[in-house]
Amino acid sequence: MGDELHNRLREERARRDLTQAQLAELVGVSRKTINTVENGIFVPSTVLALRLAKALGTTVEKLFQLR
Amino acid sequence: MMARNPDSRNVVEFADFISRRRAKGTALAALVFLIIQGILHPVFRTDGYAQSGPRSYMWAVNAALLLALILPAGGLIWGRRVRELVNDDVSRANARTAAAAAFWLAMAIALGLYALPLSRAMTAHQAIYLIVMPTTGLAPLVFAWLESRALRDG
Repeated sequence: MGDELHNRLREERARRDLTQAQLAELVGVSRKTINTVENGIFVPSTVLALRLAKALGTTVEKLFQLR
Repeated sequence: MMARNPDSRNVVEFADFISRRRAKGTALAALVFLIIQGILHPVFRTDGYAQSGPRSYMWAVNAALLLALILPAGGLIWGRRVRELVNDDVSRANARTAAAAAFWLAMAIALGLYALPLSRAMTAHQAIYLIVMPTTGLAPLVFAWLESRALRDG
């Protein structure tokens, strides 16, 4: 317990030269969702985490880590 | 990677626009409500302003309409896809947080009214007004702030 969820969504998105709106479109969510996940405000569901990882061509483990 | 569809990108951007507009509109509506209630305070007037007729319950109608703003119904006229994006998991979580904030404020005011010795007698109508008016103002304000934070670039 007490672990903090960190994510590399912004870095992975930037690496693929995608805007938040473009990634939102790929995943089928709002830009607001991408923005809040990137900023650590919103913890995504398992389904959303899997969809984000798939859209970015990576794995959930590489995208999200507990620290 | 999934195929990119320009039309769906437009939907995402449009939903973003609707969400921003809703956040601003919700905050404005809540502030106008609170200011009007602060000026008129209809339930406490003794000049007959709201003793009977539509004025006696108009504040409650306004309060109910304000609460409706945090229901997941934004973008209703723009179609299912826009509606889903506008009322996504983030917005539903924001609405729940806003409702929880209003609940705790309502409980605090209600307990305060019960515990504090009142200098003058208060009707049930007035007590309900003192609980409902600020909490229905707070819920949309909290929702609007959370939505604005979620929409803020960066």
